[in-house]
Amino acid sequence: MSDSKHTDQARRDFLNNSAKLAAGVTLASGVMLYGVAHARPAEQPATSEVRWGMLVDTNKCAKGCDACVTGCENENGWGQGSNDEQKSNANQKAQWIRKVELRNTATGHVHSLPMMCQHCETPPCVDVCPTGASMKRADGIVLVDKHICIGCRYCMMACPYKARSFVHEALEDQRAHAPRGKGTVEACTFCVHKLDAGEGTTACAEACNTEGHKAIIVGDLKDPNSEIAQAVAEYATTQVRADLGLNTGMRYRGI
Amino acid sequence: MKRQFKLLSVLPALLVLTLSAPAGAAGKEDGVGPNIPAPVKGEQCVEDTDVMRRNHMKYLKSHRDETLREGIRTKQYSLKECLECHVPPKDEAQASQTEGEHFCKSCHQYAAVRVDCFECHATRPEKSAMFHPLVTPGMQTMKDVHQPDSTELLNNFAENQNNTGAIQ
Repeated sequence: MSDSKHTDQARRDFLNNSAKLAAGVTLASGVMLYGVAHARPAEQPATSEVRWGMLVDTNKCAKGCDACVTGCENENGWGQGSNDEQKSNANQKAQWIRKVELRNTATGHVHSLPMMCQHCETPPCVDVCPTGASMKRADGIVLVDKHICIGCRYCMMACPYKARSFVHEALEDQRAHAPRGKGTVEACTFCVHKLDAGEGTTACAEACNTEGHKAIIVGDLKDPNSEIAQAVAEYATTQVRADLGLNTGMRYRGI
Repeated sequence: MKRQFKLLSVLPALLVLTLSAPAGAAGKEDGVGPNIPAPVKGEQCVEDTDVMRRNHMKYLKSHRDETLREGIRTKQYSLKECLECHVPPKDEAQASQTEGEHFCKSCHQYAAVRVDCFECHATRPEKSAMFHPLVTPGMQTMKDVHQPDSTELLNNFAENQNNTGAIQ
């Protein structure tokens, strides 16, 4: 008897929860509408209708602040707090994003800015890759397909921004959404897992906003209504090494 | 080379033969075969067990390319989702991943198939998902109601389930 009672209770809980869940859909649909409207459905591939870009306002980027770097490390499981490359020397370790300070020798003015994969429209890393592992997605995000990367590191040499790293040692405890391992090259992924989930932002931008600097804007350069498209239309922005004609997705203001 | 091919052609049959223990059996009852841990949650896999045994590698390989290169993030054949059901999450105790207690590894080790998925991929899910969106009866009902455009909604739901604390 006690068994059947137990079952009844379980059944009741199940139905009760189902009702709550159903209500959740109705209640939450309004809340989620924004996300659903902007997120690409999971079964649809990325399209070239979108070009992901990032705008860094170096006037807002604080000297000595490395919130974006820490945010990226936490999100993607590299650097501090991970068990990365215990035996490698410090300058061999993975570096998806770094802070750079530039000093104008004439005036003494110091700029601070984050430097990472610039997500070029015509990426040199993709040009030189012998296996096709270095690739650009339809929406402009440059990635390494580690399934076929042989670790030759040509892309690291070809990259004018020194944006890529090589993993020298076996790793454990990777983040589920950011697979990374020995013998492959890696770089900033533009938080592609977040963008695909419809979050529309990256870990570095989030960290910068949390810190209150709001120096990084992430968005679709091809959508005239996006914040980034309006910002690049209104203000003078620069691509690093624009002379190379790579048409980077990363833009900077104030350099 | 020839020998390798021969070996490869024998392997699937070998796998099916050796894994013919009842589904969900947590361990080798008759002392033969690999020690396959029982699923952590979910009532049935995304395909029938015999289909999965034979074809899981094809599904995974095709899905990995679609996901990485095209950004298709469906969950049915995602490795991450395999682990969601078959491997306990980080916050739950589990025997060492290297000693053949892992759902994927135990079987591959037994069949002497070396997979390098876990050189890069996480070996266990980050947090417990209480249900699998594709196979839980409650979710299936919802899916039927919202067909056909609800995948996104369901996927979102599956991700937010920790907050809702709904169906288990």
